[in-house]
Amino acid sequence: MARDSRLELLIRGGPDGFEVREVSSASAYLQFRPRRVPDHEWELAEVARGEKGHGTFVLRNCRTDRYLYLSEQERFMWQQMDGQASLQDIATSYLLRFESLDLEVIPALIGKLQGADLLTLRLASRLRELLARHPASRGARPLELALRGLERLTLASHDVHERFVRAYGLGGYLLFGVPSVTVLVVLAAFGLVAARELAREAHVVAVPLARHPILALLGGKALVLATMAAHQIVHGLACVHYGRRVRAFGFTLLHGFLPSFFVDVTDMFMASRRARVVAAIAGPLVHLALGALFFLIAFYLPGGFLQAFVAASATLQLYALLFSLYPFCFMEMDGYHILVDLLGMPTLARDSWRFVRFRLGRRLRQRQPLSRTESIWVGYVGLSFVSVAIFVIATVAWLVGVIAP
Amino acid sequence: MKATADLAFLRAVGVFAELDGAYLQALAERLRPRTLKRGEVLFREGDGGRELYVVRAGTMLVSKPVLGHVEQVLARLGPGELIGDISLFDGAPRSATVTAESDAEVYCLDHENLQLLTEASPRAAAAFFFQLGKTFSARLRESGRLVAEVTRWGLEATGLDVESTGRH
Repeated sequence: MARDSRLELLIRGGPDGFEVREVSSASAYLQFRPRRVPDHEWELAEVARGEKGHGTFVLRNCRTDRYLYLSEQERFMWQQMDGQASLQDIATSYLLRFESLDLEVIPALIGKLQGADLLTLRLASRLRELLARHPASRGARPLELALRGLERLTLASHDVHERFVRAYGLGGYLLFGVPSVTVLVVLAAFGLVAARELAREAHVVAVPLARHPILALLGGKALVLATMAAHQIVHGLACVHYGRRVRAFGFTLLHGFLPSFFVDVTDMFMASRRARVVAAIAGPLVHLALGALFFLIAFYLPGGFLQAFVAASATLQLYALLFSLYPFCFMEMDGYHILVDLLGMPTLARDSWRFVRFRLGRRLRQRQPLSRTESIWVGYVGLSFVSVAIFVIATVAWLVGVIAP
Repeated sequence: MKATADLAFLRAVGVFAELDGAYLQALAERLRPRTLKRGEVLFREGDGGRELYVVRAGTMLVSKPVLGHVEQVLARLGPGELIGDISLFDGAPRSATVTAESDAEVYCLDHENLQLLTEASPRAAAAFFFQLGKTFSARLRESGRLVAEVTRWGLEATGLDVESTGRH
């Protein structure tokens, strides 16, 4: 390991006229006094209390609207970062408070805070940006330019909160009460019955779709997109319902190719856990309501293209419901957010993957029992693989059925 | 006696090593000695002047101001090493401050005398400038090393996790 770097400094003044002092990077690091951004630029809220009563917190940068999860230990260190305490002071306080110190904890937090612009280290942040570029890579640059171009197709309004408030006042509030839940349950029950009836004659109902495949495809896409917008709007209304701010609403190409609507309700991080769960589940329930409604309409429509289209759209809504609520496979859909809130494990996907990848093998070899948290991590990764396997098997079986009935 | 001792010293100085005896003698006669007390400043960054100095005894610190009374030490020069060679060529103000780290003695060769000497013997001048070029190359390499070292220092001192940042 290379010795820590040293700088020679000449300091003028004093009885001898000057002094030459050697400063090592290690001692400079210990004397580094991280200073958090001014108090009005950040907000901290407790989001979960996990095992052993330890809390998890979310730290929000009000200026950039970036959010970070902090453990109890990280919150403690964040509170020390007032520009007065050096890292040495912080490490000492940490040791006194928690009775142990992992030497990686402090640099890891500093990196995290720098990345979220929560420390007043502007120059360092620019340096990070500069060093993060990879000009040598031939393929990366055109790909990056193409993706950036596609990402620029995002259409967003950042001045939507008042509109959501107005929509909420004009009737949006009705969605968040016992009557609306009752209506949804009844609608879902009737929809289920209608779906079952339609499924019995699926081979007849679906035939007219094949006569107008382009119309069916385009109409289906347009309807799904419209219902995705409704899904996002309901998330926004839920955000207003719980007194938080809707930051943006718009249209984008997700990952550069998937047309999608989005709503920025990250301010919900500052609300209670129950509120976050309700807001996360409210969006997908739009698909349940529409799916049930479409099945009912299709049931009463006479046979033909319209009936087939409405029935197919109802089925797509159910797929959209399942997809939105799917919590596994490291896709952070609504279902994932609900799951992590219910478990009180905000970094579930990342922690699960790290544990399974780097530590599980050693734990199994040493035959050490897993804690509850570790079992959840293993379960998450396991269920991710199982669900993908089920999806692949079901798709192959369906294709085999279609090609060779 | 003094001139003889000086000649022996000058022969050991890299840039003068290839010069013949007569030329070296002429050079020795044109060098002006100067003594400095510890802490005395030979010149400061931004000062005018086109003199070339050769450290005869002691050590000199080459530094650049960075903050208030703090300067970064760029080099520590000992006997036989040159000072002021950059301004000798470009005529621009001094690029750094030079301070005696200990009691020191330097020889000064001003621009006019250097010109006289080079005009008197172009062959000797070529040898002198060739050696000076080698000194510049060595300094350039050292500057590159120093830049890398300062960058490493900055990264270590701030705990900046560049490797992880690059993977974002």
